[in-house]
Amino acid sequence: MIRRKSIYSVLLYAAVICLVIYLIAPFLWLIIMSFSAANDLTQKPLRWIPSSIDISSYKDLLTMGINSRGELFVNALRNSLTTAFTAVLISLFATVPAAWVLSRYPGKKSWVLTVAIFTFMLPPVAYALPLYRMLTRLGWLNNSLSLALVYCTIVLPFCVWLIKENIDSIPYELEESAILDGAGVARRILLVVMPLLLPALGTVALLAMIMAWDEYFYALLFTSSKEAITLPVVIANLASGRQSNYNLIAAGGVIASTPPVLIGILFQRALIRGLVQGGVKE
Amino acid sequence: MASRGTRWYTLLLAPMILVMGAVIGWPLIQTFVLSLTDTQLMDVSAPSFVGFENFIKGLGNQGFLDALKVSGLFALVVVSSEMILGTGVALLLNEPFRGRNLVRALLILPWAVPTTVNAIMWRLIYNPEYGALNSLLFQLGFLDSYISWLGSADKALWSVMFADVWKNFSLVAMIALASLQTLPDSQIEAAKIDGAGAWQRFRYITLPHLIPSLQVALVLRIIEAVKVFDIIYVMTKGGPANKTRSASIFVYQEAFTNSRMGSGAAYAIIMVSLIMILIAFYIRGLSRKEK
Repeated sequence: MIRRKSIYSVLLYAAVICLVIYLIAPFLWLIIMSFSAANDLTQKPLRWIPSSIDISSYKDLLTMGINSRGELFVNALRNSLTTAFTAVLISLFATVPAAWVLSRYPGKKSWVLTVAIFTFMLPPVAYALPLYRMLTRLGWLNNSLSLALVYCTIVLPFCVWLIKENIDSIPYELEESAILDGAGVARRILLVVMPLLLPALGTVALLAMIMAWDEYFYALLFTSSKEAITLPVVIANLASGRQSNYNLIAAGGVIASTPPVLIGILFQRALIRGLVQGGVKE
Repeated sequence: MASRGTRWYTLLLAPMILVMGAVIGWPLIQTFVLSLTDTQLMDVSAPSFVGFENFIKGLGNQGFLDALKVSGLFALVVVSSEMILGTGVALLLNEPFRGRNLVRALLILPWAVPTTVNAIMWRLIYNPEYGALNSLLFQLGFLDSYISWLGSADKALWSVMFADVWKNFSLVAMIALASLQTLPDSQIEAAKIDGAGAWQRFRYITLPHLIPSLQVALVLRIIEAVKVFDIIYVMTKGGPANKTRSASIFVYQEAFTNSRMGSGAAYAIIMVSLIMILIAFYIRGLSRKEK
């Protein structure tokens, strides 16, 4: 019995060690590359531990000079933030009142929810062509605001779905007593539902931010220069060039990962609860 | 009173319907209209109506059929790997061991890394000359010479799929782990007292408890995987020899590289129809189970 138990714990710890290596090794290597000197990364066989810590790639990417790589990168960082914020703001403004109706009056207009979930499943190429022609005609290409509007195709259905699930879990009795006090729809939403919804709203906003931060397809199509280009496009361009500044590419990747990874670590529990809540109850 | 109520609902739904109509409804209709014309990317001449010609040509195009196969294979392999690996990891992280909370916290890392970063990270690892994978395998004695992981026709798609599994299995694992944590210990203990072995406990208690949340993870992952674009495009651009060209990449190239908007729209509509069939099967499966 004791032997069986010790074999079990050896196997358990072996599996855990394998898992930890699998989870962190690729990203750890990206971080190591970003702090290596360029010629440390072009050795054969590879030099696993850099000869010295070299932060020149970060300096290169984060220093603004006219028409420098840094200028484009810093602009992309700012554009990615602006676009993600705007898309999430528009989506939340549009979805909170709608989700309230869909939750409290499930019979009415329930097709709206079906349509929203359905569009979540369609590929972006289904909308991209007319959107491209429309933005070209209006002269709205390469513009953070119009990119944010386009991001609503992804973010908005997701927000309606999760926010409706969350309003479902707020007891209707609270609103009923407010009605008895003579509260109208606006007061019921703003004073009764909103305070209880805020934590969930925060979670949904963070998840939606990560989604928008991650988006590549529309950004590739609709943005091209420093006015609106986003980080994923800049990073993919860095990597697709023939250059061998591997440390620079790695540093770009590390910088772009920092906000979502920090959010992930800080809000892990809430994020997972938000994701799981979406569908399990159905 | 009733009519006043209806007006309220409509007003509250209006912002969402407005945004959805502008960026989802209208473009979808326009894509269909485009697909019936021979519109070019740059409107040199006025496009003319060609009926279903684009669709007939499209369904007979070997390149497109190959792209559909790539998307199908990609979805099948990555989603099943992610489900199995994710469930296994969740079961592992539900066992008691020292440092469990730390390992659980690490699980969010692959999920949080943006898709494009994941793609360039694996591109660097797979680099044929200076990549970490070649160097590691060579130094351990598993390889005699370096391999071009993304450059060879028989390995490229599998290499991309491996990179996708690394990022996305963690979502499945997190969802499954969250569900395992709501399984009361008393149920497992009761089964132990009744003499149920480890396999029986898994088969008759743990798995049935997990299935609803695994279904959610499965649907989320299939939806993402069949429309795959970014990870493949950043890693290989669909090459070598179109061996990793997915349906989404095919549509993108037809419309924007070959400048054939009309025909690209027709391919997009075919793709949408196939995904709708997939959704219909899923909904039917669900409603049959409820009966």
